[in-house]
Amino acid sequence: MSLDRKWQPMKWPCGPLEVARRTKSGSMNSDAKEAIEAWGHASALELLKGTPVNCLVVPWAEGGPEDSAQRQALQPLLEAGRRLGMSFVAKIASEADAASAVAAARAAGFAAVMVENPSGQSFALPVIPQFPRDKVAWEKTSTIFSSSENVWPGLNLETMHGDTAVAGPTGIPWVNSNAWFALLAEELAPGRTLWLDFDPPAASTAAHPTGYALAVADSRAYGSRWIISLDDKLLAGLAKGNAQAKQVWQDLCATLAFFESHREWESLRALGALAVVSDFRGENAYLSGEVLNLLNRRQVQFRVIERTRSLPTLTPSLRAILWLDREAPSAEQRSRLLEFAQQGGLVIAADYWGPAGVAPTKKDPALPYTMYNAGKGQIAVAVEGFQDPYQVAVDTHLLLSRRNDLVRLYNPETTNCHCSGDFSSPHEGKRLVQVLNYSSDRAESVTVWLNARVVSARLWRPEAKDARTLEGVAASPGTDFDLPPLSVYCALEYEGTRL
Amino acid sequence: MTMTTCSRRKFVAAMGAAAGAWLARPAMFLARSAPASRVAVGSCREYGPEVLGTLRTMFDQIGGLQDLVRGKTVAVKLNLTGDATDRLGYLPAGLTHWVHPQVVGATVRLLGEAGARRIRLLESPMGTAEPLEEFMLQANWEPRDFLSAAPHVEFENTNYLGYSKKYARFWVPAGGLRFKGYDLNHSYEDCDVFVSLAKLKEHVTAGVTLSMKNCFGITPCTIYGDGSPEDEPSLTPRGGRGPFHEMNRLPSKSAPPAVDLNSSKEPGYGVPRVVADLVAARPVHLAIIDGIHSMAGGEGPWCDHVRHVQPGLLVAGTNCVATDAVCMALMGFDPMADRGTPPFETCDSTLRLAEQLGVGTRDLTQIEVAGTPIAKARFNFRQS
Repeated sequence: MSLDRKWQPMKWPCGPLEVARRTKSGSMNSDAKEAIEAWGHASALELLKGTPVNCLVVPWAEGGPEDSAQRQALQPLLEAGRRLGMSFVAKIASEADAASAVAAARAAGFAAVMVENPSGQSFALPVIPQFPRDKVAWEKTSTIFSSSENVWPGLNLETMHGDTAVAGPTGIPWVNSNAWFALLAEELAPGRTLWLDFDPPAASTAAHPTGYALAVADSRAYGSRWIISLDDKLLAGLAKGNAQAKQVWQDLCATLAFFESHREWESLRALGALAVVSDFRGENAYLSGEVLNLLNRRQVQFRVIERTRSLPTLTPSLRAILWLDREAPSAEQRSRLLEFAQQGGLVIAADYWGPAGVAPTKKDPALPYTMYNAGKGQIAVAVEGFQDPYQVAVDTHLLLSRRNDLVRLYNPETTNCHCSGDFSSPHEGKRLVQVLNYSSDRAESVTVWLNARVVSARLWRPEAKDARTLEGVAASPGTDFDLPPLSVYCALEYEGTRL
Repeated sequence: MTMTTCSRRKFVAAMGAAAGAWLARPAMFLARSAPASRVAVGSCREYGPEVLGTLRTMFDQIGGLQDLVRGKTVAVKLNLTGDATDRLGYLPAGLTHWVHPQVVGATVRLLGEAGARRIRLLESPMGTAEPLEEFMLQANWEPRDFLSAAPHVEFENTNYLGYSKKYARFWVPAGGLRFKGYDLNHSYEDCDVFVSLAKLKEHVTAGVTLSMKNCFGITPCTIYGDGSPEDEPSLTPRGGRGPFHEMNRLPSKSAPPAVDLNSSKEPGYGVPRVVADLVAARPVHLAIIDGIHSMAGGEGPWCDHVRHVQPGLLVAGTNCVATDAVCMALMGFDPMADRGTPPFETCDSTLRLAEQLGVGTRDLTQIEVAGTPIAKARFNFRQS
């Protein structure tokens, strides 16, 4: 048995362990009780027929007295599920005796185990390690790994005043997204699949059907998988065959099916004129993570580079490197960075480590950076180092210059986008711009501007089976694509000239 | 500070000394004494090569630019209101609520041809201290087009301190209607000629926004913004100019004080007075209004019930009150209108207030209109 990257996981709340967990956390209510009972029956699996969901994550061991009862209770469900071709993953909490729990899971026919904070010991079943997002042991990740403590994508509830989204310091509404973390995972765990573990908020946007579609899209657009998790009302509604609940479920599955039918997009790599370099670990983790998050929110397209990897060279589509860490580059890295600058690139850093005797040049007073000329390019050094991630993101965008934007959104408000492409060819091949709306309201009159001459693009939407041709409107420079009203997600696919 | 600064200070001092006498005069006397002016109206259906020719003709009709700008530093305040990514529907900002880049480029070129020594493009972009060029790029403008349109073209974001070490102080002659004076970015002092390059639009708060209301945006939000500190200006601007609308907070204490803290806090009272103050304190030498394409019903896409319109007009004059008066007439409004009458249903008339401060006349009988006659060029904003 091995981990299958084609698994589409879903949490299946059932059994005595789920009841105990809910009771302990104070989240047990009539909906939950009803749902847990109903979802423990094999008949509940009928819901999954014909859907992309093919892997169920079930609670298995938490180190308490209910563990053995759970094993007994789940047997019928497991057998029925296997007959349907379903794979099961047993979730083992860090408090449990992992060795005995894994042995029991193997005996029960599980395909794999998900182990919180694994110690590194080997087991008789494939392991999906799960870490809190800020404590991922990247070197311990496997073909599939999972993070907890992620956010529910959408407008930040703490910044909502009633139905109104309140702008953050960026001037645009604050949104929650796991996009940056998925992009980081792609670099630090290449070739592996990240499963994002997050639940619908208790009182919430989740009641809105698009909330689930967005949770899927925010994960899949950036190459990760959401472990589907339904709220209690929906679970109970589905168990009762409630029509509204069924519609929400069908919409969620339609979004999943859409991404399943575009698996080839996962081989495309993030494009961007900026490379963000850090080790993304330890004391550098917070700043680097937040900078990625805020750059993404500003629609700055970037590539993530782990500090020990080979540094990129200057190309027409890569113009700047942001060296985020306080640690100075090694002699070899310094040589590469200087070469990058001397050929016309921009290197942004917290400290100057370039050649001695270079006098700084003048720069805009709004940008607290000392600029040093290096050949045809420059090194920008933050006068007071990197302190506020928001400011680092803003300044980086301005130092790089919007002239190097690959894409922009007009009337963006609650939308964001992600550019990817066939990395082997900077000027040709498939290009993809995925646009997400983080509001439960439709986004109207959104224009996608591409820094390329593109006559037309294929517009893909989960609501429609086939792509529609969208004509570009020549802008000066670049091309505008006027999107139809956007519910949650759409993608523009075209053959690239520059992007 | 430069020689220009000294000249400006002398001018301000002289105006301050005369303030008592001005205050003693009845308002209507000031209105009657306002200078008459000539305003040029040009028909121009589309943005394209014809913009340059139309503007050239219009500038000739108002006496030519050479005497005004030759050898001078010219500051041009652009109207780039709101965020750079705001659009009315799918239309680029230049077709609705921003002055169009072709009008900016043509103006820069003609200023250069007329011998301007230095041309400085200015705006205070919404809530940011970023370089003005970057703000333009975000709207998909190409700043290099302006750099190549004339020699010595510069940009400055005037929403904060900018390239100077201190703000320039402008006292309002006669004491001011809302504030006694205003602290502004140095660019409005370090110039010989000040141009307001605006858009032909209605305004939800002020009735219309033309060459005078465009100057509302010369105030830095580090002092006059929603997030300005109580005592000293902030380093970077945050938010918009809500305090000018609501008077819910005062500018930083470092700035000149309000005239009357007990006066109305109604936006329709305050905003027109701030605008009139500003054009009295920082005189406009050349007013240019882009009305080729525009929008009706409000000043930006964020307003309710707004729509794109195409009046096909350019307007220019050397007096901002007279130029705005002609614009109002072209829009189908009576420039002599005041509160309660369109477009001033809920506000006082900025034109009347500026006239009261002696800036210029709004009386069409005292304004010579060159080029396309008003009757022929009129585009009724409320009936379009």
